[in-house]
Amino acid sequence: MSRSRRILLTAAVVLAAPAASAAAAEPPEILVSRQLLESRSLSVGDVVRLSSDPEGDGARPFRIAGVYEPTPDPMKLTSRHWAVRMHLPDLMELNAPPGDPFAAETVSRINVALRDPGDAATFIGDLQARLPGLVATSTTPDAAVFVVLERFHLAIALVTVLGSTAFLLALMVMRADERREIVGILRLVGLSKSRILLAVLVEGTCIALAGAAFGILFAAVMQDAFNAFFQWHYDTSLTFIRLTPGIAVRCVVLAVPLGVLAGLVASWTLLRREIVALLRR
Amino acid sequence: MRPAALAWRGLVRQPARASLGIVGIAAVGALLFDMLLLSRGLVVSFRDLLDSAGFDVRVTATEALPTAGPPMEEASRVCATIGALPEVEQVVPLNFGLATAPDGGSLYLIGSGPRTRRTWTMIEGEPLPDESPPQGPPPAVVNRNLARDLDVGPGDTIRLQIRSFPAMELVVTGIVEIIFDDAEARTAATTREAYFRLHGLPDADTVDLLLVASAPGVRSADTVAAIREAVPEYHPFSNADFVARFQRTDFTYFRQISFVLSTVTLFFAFLLVTTLLTVSVNQRFAEIAALRALGFTRRRVVADLLWESALVVGAGGFLALPAGGLLAVRLDAILRDIPGLPARLHFFVFEPRAVLLHVALLGLTGVLAALYPVFLAARLPIAATLRKETVS
Repeated sequence: MSRSRRILLTAAVVLAAPAASAAAAEPPEILVSRQLLESRSLSVGDVVRLSSDPEGDGARPFRIAGVYEPTPDPMKLTSRHWAVRMHLPDLMELNAPPGDPFAAETVSRINVALRDPGDAATFIGDLQARLPGLVATSTTPDAAVFVVLERFHLAIALVTVLGSTAFLLALMVMRADERREIVGILRLVGLSKSRILLAVLVEGTCIALAGAAFGILFAAVMQDAFNAFFQWHYDTSLTFIRLTPGIAVRCVVLAVPLGVLAGLVASWTLLRREIVALLRR
Repeated sequence: MRPAALAWRGLVRQPARASLGIVGIAAVGALLFDMLLLSRGLVVSFRDLLDSAGFDVRVTATEALPTAGPPMEEASRVCATIGALPEVEQVVPLNFGLATAPDGGSLYLIGSGPRTRRTWTMIEGEPLPDESPPQGPPPAVVNRNLARDLDVGPGDTIRLQIRSFPAMELVVTGIVEIIFDDAEARTAATTREAYFRLHGLPDADTVDLLLVASAPGVRSADTVAAIREAVPEYHPFSNADFVARFQRTDFTYFRQISFVLSTVTLFFAFLLVTTLLTVSVNQRFAEIAALRALGFTRRRVVADLLWESALVVGAGGFLALPAGGLLAVRLDAILRDIPGLPARLHFFVFEPRAVLLHVALLGLTGVLAALYPVFLAARLPIAATLRKETVS
């Protein structure tokens, strides 16, 4: 194993449940992340040697008891998920600096499950008052990053909608222009402006609904392909795209009125003209 | 009449259609421009941040990030060895940790070795002395957030504590701006001697990060090579190495999204121009046939259409630059709300190459979009089209 790989492996050691180690004769058991297992061609039951020293000094044997899929984390998308989980006493023994009398009494973090998670703020306050210098934080995920990314995506979506609306209006104007003579003849045979506008409205609604349905169907089909590609690319089980009913409804609510409105505006530019002007070549 | 003038008249004759086409191109062009800015913005901004610190090489214990890996042992020996290299002008050892402030909140604590170059920007008061005084509380500088929260300024004292070790008083000598602080960060820096005393380890000799400034005229790569040879157990890397590594790993999300959106917007622009020109050609078959009958060559008709495409894409693309600039400012403000990022980091950074790329991509799109309508116009049968037009 190269030096850099050994370092990464060591750095990936993570804290596990505080259970007792196996018997001294047998190497202690560890769990290995799927990515580490695959990349190092390991198997369940293999014995591996782990060390906290970059040179590999003081390495100890461990038996791979199982493999686990790391919880997907969008903020660590590009980092290699090379990690092992071991019993706390084994980790402390592996990591203890020689001659440090407090090594066996030192942990990095303590996870606490409250009877009522709503009491987190009170508990943190009480704990910090009793043990000054201790840093206590809630494990509730910080949603701020995703809120920001959602706002960013929304802003991009709004610009896209603006461009699409201009595109749609241009198309509708051209389409209405193509039907200039037909509209002139319909007016000539006695159809009122409102009647023609109603026909345009019905037609526009049908087209907009069909377009929105096609768009949602296309997204539904493509989401699996997108997810499969990025899950392969980043070697993660994270879901990148999920078409929810809420998103589909928002698309329809935005797209259909826009489509109908574009058709009406384009048609109105024709209908307000005189019949003679419509039929003039 | 020249092709450009004829194309211009063709557009002016149908102002609504032309305006909508230009607005559509401007909107997608603005998005394209922004995605081009985003594709390298973080990297450029991050490189500028690193360079602005005044040190071109960093040394850590492992390949992990400076605060994420184990510390380097025998800091004094390592500093002396690196400092003695002819390629090196200055070495500054730094230690990083967390401490608790008197208000109960946590803060980042930096333990800094002696330095002549600025590792932070002074805002008020005096710089951090190189050593703690033999008597009395050690010195510290604090950033603006911490100074505001604790209501302290130069000359005041703050009481810091780390874990269950005894709390210690420090005298604030100044208020500073630390380059890599995020907008909410509360940071204090003190001498390494005081840093270790706060940690209950007065005799410790470890260091998390060494900032190294190359001697004048020495390339960063040469300094890195010299350090690697002198202390092979540790990892020196230049700012360029650091940026390249971040480019490979940490910034990929924004590169991916900028690539995907650039592709989508280009396709959208292509579709828009192709549709506009194709419908326009379809409606003008008779006009084109008449022009051909009057003696306009195929090449001339093709030139007219290419000019029409160029005018729509050119006008839209031109409007896209200021629109994209304004949009980038807004999008940058949104993204900079991501917690934990250095306050001086930007996602959208203007570069002349982005403008050149924007022009080239839109130009290519305009040419490609005109191909199909040009094909239709060039193959138009003159006599049959004129007869059909007369009969209808």
